[in-house]
Amino acid sequence: MGEEEVKQEEKEIKEKPKEKFKLSFDYFNESRLGIFALIIGIIVAIFPGLPAFIKGIGMMIVLLWGADSVRKTARYGLGTGVPSIGVLAMGFGIVGGITGIAVASLSFGTLVVGGVEIAFGVLAGVALLALLGFVSGNLANGDKFINMKIPGLERGMTELGIAGTLAVLIETSIISGTYAITNVLPNAINNGVIAVIFIISAFAMLQPLNTCLGADERRGRTLLMSIEIGGIASIILGLVTTLTLSAVQGVPLIVLGAVVWVVFYRAYMKACLEEAYAVKGTGLIKTLGG
Amino acid sequence: MIETLLLVLVCIIIGGLLSSLAVHLMPVGGAPAAMATATGIATGCVMLMTGAAVTGLFTASTVASFWVTKPNVILVALSGAVGSMLMIGFTMFVGNLIYIFGAGIVPCSGRVAVDPITKDSQTEYKTPRTDGHGVPTASFVSGILGGFSGGFGGALIYVVLVSDSYAHFSVATAGIVAMGIFIANAIIAAYNIGGTIEGFHDPKFKARIRTGLTCSLIVSVLCGVIIVIAMLTGTLAGGVM
Repeated sequence: MGEEEVKQEEKEIKEKPKEKFKLSFDYFNESRLGIFALIIGIIVAIFPGLPAFIKGIGMMIVLLWGADSVRKTARYGLGTGVPSIGVLAMGFGIVGGITGIAVASLSFGTLVVGGVEIAFGVLAGVALLALLGFVSGNLANGDKFINMKIPGLERGMTELGIAGTLAVLIETSIISGTYAITNVLPNAINNGVIAVIFIISAFAMLQPLNTCLGADERRGRTLLMSIEIGGIASIILGLVTTLTLSAVQGVPLIVLGAVVWVVFYRAYMKACLEEAYAVKGTGLIKTLGG
Repeated sequence: MIETLLLVLVCIIIGGLLSSLAVHLMPVGGAPAAMATATGIATGCVMLMTGAAVTGLFTASTVASFWVTKPNVILVALSGAVGSMLMIGFTMFVGNLIYIFGAGIVPCSGRVAVDPITKDSQTEYKTPRTDGHGVPTASFVSGILGGFSGGFGGALIYVVLVSDSYAHFSVATAGIVAMGIFIANAIIAAYNIGGTIEGFHDPKFKARIRTGLTCSLIVSVLCGVIIVIAMLTGTLAGGVM
């Protein structure tokens, strides 16, 4: 008991100074978060030589952006459910990711400057999927076509295409360490890891809004959950990376994922408990006090 | 080389159009169907159709592995259609069992007065202020047709991607790309439906199918072009994607 209490206290001490920033997301409004995540995502995606730990952080930021775009798109009620939007993002992402990897593994797709690989080719996939997302957003919102009249749907769909593609690219590069097709195929695709990538990224994007949806949905709280699921995704990818590459790459990613998961789960629960009108615990979750 | 690329592009477009058509044929009830106050299965278009199409991809990939080289395109696509039809058939059948024996309702259509297949009258069985219940015969047949169309479309994309005489992707790449294209089309179709649909006899079907297919054509052409780029570059880089 004594040890547990000490651990609890440590976590609280670690958490407190960050809490105001985490709970508000005031500075990172929708546009700023988009630009920030796009830049970070592209930088992380075009350097496949970065350590998996840093790529993991990049992945979480991209997934956060994806969740924000799902929130933007699905907030108005589409008649198809929130999960389909997250799955759409990853459907786009898989098509774009495969194309990006194929282009990057060409001789002109990857430059090597002073021993550092720069895979510009993946940006072809990102650009094509931005176009596809923009076109399908226009189809869904345009007067001559489906005419859904949802404000900002074009932008939302474009962002979903880009975020999905970046997520697939970064996760593939975490697992295989490079974009060479001869390496990516056995490590990330033929063993079925691509299906895991598909579903964990889709969950990080769709689950936050799907859970928090309702009259009192608050952006800051919704996004906390996306970071939390990003942590779970890091743990899973860390396990896979330990098997495909090495423990040196994989273990830091698992530790990062575990820390992020615990910290943001607590922050999310705290936000929920504070903002609820009244809380009555069933005793199933200890944080509710039974 | 050009003929192969064009053929892959055309097959992806046909597959995309068929999957869009399939989603329009599904008996989709959404959330109201969970309370048996709307006709159809109690989930969204995309979830229902993706479940069926993925089953179709499984049967198609099993049948495609019977050939060492050059699988027969039509046979593999048809086997995907059969798998998909079975899956959607089981879903509707078990759904109906629960609706009839669990909730105690009579399957009936809310959108038409007479079932176009059995010619049975529907309005007497419809509870006032609901939109039909369960999966009536016309919706069941429509769902099976949708399973055929979606499974055939998905498996057609899969088989041209996996076949060594066309794109020659690896099994996993072809499967996941076929699923990606399928989902993109299914969601555009779901936007077009906007909630619930009963099947081919629903007035919504006739009113919206043209828009749905037009949008699906545009999205499929773009997806096809992107995949052809991947195919070209992948072949240059390593031979096998």
